[in-house]
Amino acid sequence: MARSRAHVWFVAPAVTLMFVILILPILIAAVLSFTDYSLGNDGAQYVGLKNYERIFTRSTYEKMFIATFTYVGVVVPLSVGLGLGAALLINSLKRFGDLYKTIYFLPVMAALLAMAIVWEFALHPTIGIVNKTLATGCGTVLEHWAWYAQGCAKTFPLWLTDRNYAIWTVAFIGVWQGFGFNMVLYLAGLTSVPRELYQAAEMDGARTGWDRFRLVTWPMLGPTTVFVVTITCIRSFQVFDTVEAFYPQGGGPSKSVYVMMFAIYEKAIQQNLMGIGAAITVVFLGFVMFLTLMQRWLVERRVHYS
Amino acid sequence: MSDATATAAVRERSSDDQFVLRWSSREALKHAVLIVGALIVLLPFYVMLSYSFKSPSEIMTNTGGLIGLQEPFRDDYCVKLGNAAEDCMVTPVIYNYTTAFGKAPLLRYLFNGAVVTASIFFIQVLIALPCAYALAKLKWWGREFVFSMVLFCLLIPVHAIALPLYIMLSKLGLTNSYAALVIPWTISVFGIFLMRQFFMTVPDDLIDAARMDGMNEFAIIWKVMLPTAVPALLAFAIFSVVAHWNDYFWPRIVITGNRELFTPPLGLREFKGDADGDNFGPMMATATIIVTPLIVAFLIAQRRFIEGITLSGMK
Repeated sequence: MARSRAHVWFVAPAVTLMFVILILPILIAAVLSFTDYSLGNDGAQYVGLKNYERIFTRSTYEKMFIATFTYVGVVVPLSVGLGLGAALLINSLKRFGDLYKTIYFLPVMAALLAMAIVWEFALHPTIGIVNKTLATGCGTVLEHWAWYAQGCAKTFPLWLTDRNYAIWTVAFIGVWQGFGFNMVLYLAGLTSVPRELYQAAEMDGARTGWDRFRLVTWPMLGPTTVFVVTITCIRSFQVFDTVEAFYPQGGGPSKSVYVMMFAIYEKAIQQNLMGIGAAITVVFLGFVMFLTLMQRWLVERRVHYS
Repeated sequence: MSDATATAAVRERSSDDQFVLRWSSREALKHAVLIVGALIVLLPFYVMLSYSFKSPSEIMTNTGGLIGLQEPFRDDYCVKLGNAAEDCMVTPVIYNYTTAFGKAPLLRYLFNGAVVTASIFFIQVLIALPCAYALAKLKWWGREFVFSMVLFCLLIPVHAIALPLYIMLSKLGLTNSYAALVIPWTISVFGIFLMRQFFMTVPDDLIDAARMDGMNEFAIIWKVMLPTAVPALLAFAIFSVVAHWNDYFWPRIVITGNRELFTPPLGLREFKGDADGDNFGPMMATATIIVTPLIVAFLIAQRRFIEGITLSGMK
């Protein structure tokens, strides 16, 4: 091993930057969250827990938590489930699997902001392709479905501006964008399931595909699932692009899509209320770090590296 | 639907080594499900591409198929400028794409995007590689501490601490500059972690041999370690470039108003902000132009891209 002091030169820049760019900001946010600081006004007052009190009592922030958790609660199970489903289907195909893989991965590559604008267009109530396509189904058997008949009689939903639909529509776009990523991770996980296990399971009486999935595939995919769920959670917590593109002011109809990242942006950057923004940041970091630590704990407990 | 059944006509190798064309309903059902999924996934891409070809009236009435009829239409803005109506007839696709480049400095945005993503990647490597090497292959006091610091920092998403970073940068007077776009991303703890794991697998003999040849530690990093790390670096490059080319949140915060510094997503966002009925075509053209480079690169080098993007799952 080298006895030179070269390592100081190698490590010092990284350590300095880690401290200044990643750790110091957390400390700054923590300190500011107890003040009413705003940019251009250096006389910040200590306000104690007032900012946190607001976050946990005011109805605006209640809406923020509801919107954020609804979004996360929809996007995580759906995009993990669809990712797994797509991976299993593609993996069992004899041909053309790669084609589907490529298609499903496309949204992951595309700038979400650009695709949000396109979706807004596709979901436009009058000229959008979605409602036009739905309208062509009127007068057919689909009209037996009450929701559909109502759409035909009046209008199909204003997907993005109706408060009963807005958060679900935004979540749908989140699923659309993210499940291909999960699919690829699951496909990678599937290749590492040893073939012999299936044969062994079959000998032990696992006859149906469901048995094989339940007894072999799903347990073997455990580590992948832990990782996929965590990363999807963290990504969905950070949703911003779609919300800002659709609702530059105020977070959607009746603030139903007022997610946390947008709240930080609106309070701190647009309204220069740094104290409250910092408090939301701290709460947000709390969630995200908790999730990641949970994942690490689960991985260390359950996962066995070969 | 006929596509689904056609693709399900599966060739199977039978026991006596003959190819038999077999129709399997299970297989057909799988394809049917996957095709429906594919149609939904592709829908916005279709809308984007198709509308970037069409005239305003075709967009409004939703006619013209994929690429529109390409019948010339009158550019009202051109008429407003005092030109004769017959000089103002434009072909939709040409109008959309020239307006995309003409109405806003789109080339400038693309240039900014390229400069920012390239700078971020090079600085990340410049900082992360030596640190990863020291963590993996040198023994020194404090190594465990620095590595646990790396593991801790992996917990912090940079977007989440955007607010304090913004305050720091504005105190330094750095908002609205390239520096503001690049600085928060110069340190990639993920890059350090990844490279360290990779360097752990490089045999010590290789490094000792290099030392015997009289190479100093700096030379070892750039002449021995860097070349061995190319596959991992490539994957990391894709990961980094995709993340920062597509990033909207951070540029949105630190770049206010100064168009000269807009990245492609910011440019598109502004376009949307003042779009009226006639501008949907050009707006979709802009979106297409912004999304295309990565999509095309992805289609060409799929395996590498999927490797790179899912890199974070390789732990």
